[in-house]
Amino acid sequence: MGPLEEMLLEIKDTSELMVDLAYSSLLYNNRDIAEEVYQLDTRMRELENEIQEMAVQKATEDKDIKKALLIIRLAQSVGEISNAALKIADVVRRDVPPHPVIQLALRETDVIITAVTVGEDSDLDGATLGKVRLATNTGMFVIAIRRGRRYIYGPDQNTTMMGGDTLYARGPEDGEQYLKDLASGKEHLNPKDLTS
Amino acid sequence: MVNHEDNDEEEKENLTVRELLTEIKDISEVIVDLAYAALLFDSQEIGAEVHHLGARMDTLNHEIKIRMMLASRTTQDAVQLSGLLQVAEGAASISNAAGAIVELLELNPKGSPIVSLVLKEAEEKIRILNLSDRSDMKGKSLEDLSVETETGMRVIAIKRGIRWIYDPEESERLKEGDVLVVRGTEDGFERLRRFTTGAEKWPVYPEEE
Repeated sequence: MGPLEEMLLEIKDTSELMVDLAYSSLLYNNRDIAEEVYQLDTRMRELENEIQEMAVQKATEDKDIKKALLIIRLAQSVGEISNAALKIADVVRRDVPPHPVIQLALRETDVIITAVTVGEDSDLDGATLGKVRLATNTGMFVIAIRRGRRYIYGPDQNTTMMGGDTLYARGPEDGEQYLKDLASGKEHLNPKDLTS
Repeated sequence: MVNHEDNDEEEKENLTVRELLTEIKDISEVIVDLAYAALLFDSQEIGAEVHHLGARMDTLNHEIKIRMMLASRTTQDAVQLSGLLQVAEGAASISNAAGAIVELLELNPKGSPIVSLVLKEAEEKIRILNLSDRSDMKGKSLEDLSVETETGMRVIAIKRGIRWIYDPEESERLKEGDVLVVRGTEDGFERLRRFTTGAEKWPVYPEEE
């Protein structure tokens, strides 16, 4: 994959993470998470500019104007999604807490967001997200981890979870309880469900 | 194709603000997946559904604005309600961006491997699966199966013959030959594929006591 493809991939994944984090910040009225949406946006702008530059440069070389247009417009639309995430996260930065109906509405959506704490006896303590195949086994996709005062945003398969961590995850409502039980140590994973 | 327009008039009268916002958020999520799917499969049909959902989003946004204005009594109200409106607007911007992504179909993205490459390499991919006649998923509803909880894969659309079912309801029963458009991680996709091909039986758990 070339640098242009990699940058497109990064803005797409980042824009989705930003939307998830924006809704999470609202649900938990959490300014730290809202702030991260702003941090990610800075990176998005840099990448968007670089993508535009590189796409134009390639167009002058290959004379493929359509391709350049496609890339530039796609990057622009993805950029609009991240702008929308900023708008949503901005509500948390006000002096007045978000209207309670927002939280109620978010709890009722098809894709919910939850926060669970990893206990000491949990299979998740000391395991990577990839090892326990958390998204596959629970349906819940971890978007951020709080460890003490620190946050890990957009963790990957190699990120290790630890006792005391708070996992912010999104997924179907009926996956929430299982994730909670796994995190608390009440439920355990079947060895055949782990990555060999 | 699902026709939302017929229901709009009667529905909006009865929806509470919470319900309006819930639907707005739901659309903001599925619409982006569908827009990418339209590009990935070079499908004007999926693109048309994105525009449909976009129109629904506009209706909902208009409705919620009116409710907010009627509900505002004090300054504190106004500040909180304007925040709520801002969330709805953010969701509407997402749906506009999805509409713009669908416009890219005119540039013939299928001829440009870069788009499919990016969409296939993304952390959460959009892929398609055929439901084999050997799969024991057929005849069961998405709710019976809890597909997303079991595999981490979300079914965003189903193609049945020439018909499309977008953002299927939980009560939707799968049929053999269905083409499922799913979103999720590579690992979840591989797991789901074992079930859709019939290589593995759908797990059954003992009833909770």
